[in-house]
Amino acid sequence: MLTVALPKGALLKDSIRLFQAAGLDFSAFLDSSNRQLQIPDPTGRAQALLVRTHDVPVYVEYGQAHLGVAGYDVLKEKQPKVAHLRNLGFGFCRMSVAVPDSSPYRSAAEFPPYCRVASKFVNCAREYFDQLDIPVEIIPLYGSVELGPITGMSEAIVDLVSTGRTLKENGLVELEVLYESTARLIAHPLSYRLNTYGLQDWVEKIQPAIVGV
Amino acid sequence: MIYQPPTGARDLLPVDVAQKHWIEQRLQDIFTRWSYHRIITPTLERLDTLVAGEAVRPETVIQVWDSEEGILGLRPELTASIARAAATRMVETYPQRLCYMANIFRRQPTGQTYGQHEFYQGGVELLGAGGVSADAEVLLLLSDALSNLGLERWHLVLGDAGLTRSLLWDFPKPLRGKVREAIAQLNHVELEQLPLEPDLRNRALKLMNLRGTPVEVLAQISQWSLDATQMAAVQRLKSVVDLIDGHPSVTLDLSLIQTFDYYTGLVFEVVSDSLSGQRVLGQGGRYDQLVGLYHPQSQMIPGIGFSLNMEDLQQVLMRQLPQRTAVSHWLVVPESSDLVAAAFRHAQQLRQQAVGAEPIRVEVELELRSPDQTRIYAKHRQIQQIAWVSASGSVTIETVETST
Repeated sequence: MLTVALPKGALLKDSIRLFQAAGLDFSAFLDSSNRQLQIPDPTGRAQALLVRTHDVPVYVEYGQAHLGVAGYDVLKEKQPKVAHLRNLGFGFCRMSVAVPDSSPYRSAAEFPPYCRVASKFVNCAREYFDQLDIPVEIIPLYGSVELGPITGMSEAIVDLVSTGRTLKENGLVELEVLYESTARLIAHPLSYRLNTYGLQDWVEKIQPAIVGV
Repeated sequence: MIYQPPTGARDLLPVDVAQKHWIEQRLQDIFTRWSYHRIITPTLERLDTLVAGEAVRPETVIQVWDSEEGILGLRPELTASIARAAATRMVETYPQRLCYMANIFRRQPTGQTYGQHEFYQGGVELLGAGGVSADAEVLLLLSDALSNLGLERWHLVLGDAGLTRSLLWDFPKPLRGKVREAIAQLNHVELEQLPLEPDLRNRALKLMNLRGTPVEVLAQISQWSLDATQMAAVQRLKSVVDLIDGHPSVTLDLSLIQTFDYYTGLVFEVVSDSLSGQRVLGQGGRYDQLVGLYHPQSQMIPGIGFSLNMEDLQQVLMRQLPQRTAVSHWLVVPESSDLVAAAFRHAQQLRQQAVGAEPIRVEVELELRSPDQTRIYAKHRQIQQIAWVSASGSVTIETVETST
C-alpha cells in the first residue's frame, strides 16, 4: 500500500491538507486524543506514518515510506538519497546566524578564528563557515540552541528562525541568513522510477493543492 | 580490552558463509553455463588505476600508503581492475567472457557513519563485443542467474547513458553539469529553480520524466528532434528491448544516469520487488571507452557487464537460504583411548563413500565422553548416526532420534 511519512509539529497541518486535496484523509493525526503512529486512509488506498521531522527522509530513503513531507533545512542537513519532487511553499523559515545583543560582532565575517558556534544543523553550519574560510568549533546541540550564547558556551548559534520571537526574547540578534527553507514533497527514488502504487498519479493529484510557488 | 573489527567491517560466521556460498554457487553455475571464466584481480590497486575511468572519486576509496608504490586503494568495484588486466595482460582474441566473485571496499561519504565498508559482489564483464547481441547476452544472462537463485519477481530498469548524455548537450555549458546532477538525483525542485529558458526547462523536466514501458518511452522519444546518432541509439534500444522480450517487468528510464560514470550506452539496474522496501540488487552497463584507457596503444575495446550485490541478495532471499550450518552425517566414537587410530581410519572410510555430489560429513568424538553424554551431544548437533568403534575392531551403528 502507498505509504506516506508525515512530520510531527509545525508542518503537519499543511501536510494533511495537501493529501486531503488528493483524496487521502489522514486528519486523524490532528485529533489530540490520537496515539496511533500509523493510520490508514479511510478509503484504504494508502497509509501514513507520523514521525519526527528529521526522520521523514530516513523512512523515505529506505523505502518504508514512498512519499514524505520534509523541510528543506532537514534535507540540506542530512543529504538523504531521496527525490525532491515539489517545493510545497509552506513551512517558511530561514537558517540564520545569531549572536547576543551585546556581541561585538555585526557580521559573521568578523568572527575570530576558532570561535564556538552552537547548532542543531552542524553540517549546514560547517559548510557556511568553510565558505567564509573561518575555522570554527561547532558544538552540536539537540534543542534550545539559544542557551549556547546565553550561558557563554558559544559566541554564536546557527539555527532556524521563523518569526524571530524566540531570538528576541532570549536577547539574540540575527546577523546572517544562510538560506531560506520551505517544505518539500520527497519520494523514494526507486518507487518513483518504478511508479510503485501509481506514485506519479498521486503526485499529479497533489499538484493543484500546491499554492503560489 | 574487547577486540572488535573496525567500523564498517564485519565477520562472516559459518551460517553467513553458508548463505553466501549458496548464492555464489548458483550464480557461478550460470556464469559457467554461459562460458564465462572466473578472473581474480588484486584487492589492492594503484589509486590511479581505480580512478582512471572518472566514475570512482578518490575520496570514496579506502587508501593505503606504500613507501615504494605510492598511493594504493582497496578496490571499490571490479570493472576497472578487470579492464586493466584484460587490456594489458590478455592480448588475445575477443570476445573475452569473464566473471568474478569478490569483496569490495567503499568509504562512506562524510557525515554518514552508518553502513558497511566491505561488501561482496558477483558479476560478469563481456569484453570486445560492442553490438546489440552483446547487450542482449548480458541482460539474458542476468535474468538466467537471478532465476537460478529462485528470485521470483524483480524489475529491470533500463536506460542509455550515451543517449541521455547527448540529449544534455542542448543545455548551456555552465548549467549542463547541474542539469545532469538534478536529473540523476530526480531533483524536480532544483530543475525548476535553475536559470533556464522556459523551453529548455520544459525539456529538462520532460527528460527527467522519460520513463515507463519501453513501448511508451520509445514512442515519446521518437517525437523529439533527434540527430542521426541519437536516432541510431533509440533504434538500438528498441532492438535490445525486442531481444529480451518476455521479461515480466521492464521499465525504460532515460533519466537513469549517474553524476559521474564511465558508461557509454546501455545502463541498467535490478530492483527487488520486496514488501519491506525496494532495493537495488545489481547494476551494470556498457563502457566502450574504459578498456582503452588501460591499453598500451589506447586501442578501443568495447565492454559491458554487471555486478550483483551479495548483501542485498542475501536480504531478499533470506527465506530460501540455509538457516544453519550443515549437519554431520556421522559421529565416529572410539570406545576407549587406544581405539582413536581405528576411529580415524573408520571415519576416513566413511568420508570416501560419497553419495551423489554432496560430500559425506564425518566427525570423530575427541573428548572420550561417556556413551550417554555422546548421545546427548549427537542429538544436540542433530547427527543421525553414531559409529561405535570397539576393541574387537567391530563397528556398531546406532541411529539417533533427532528432532528435525
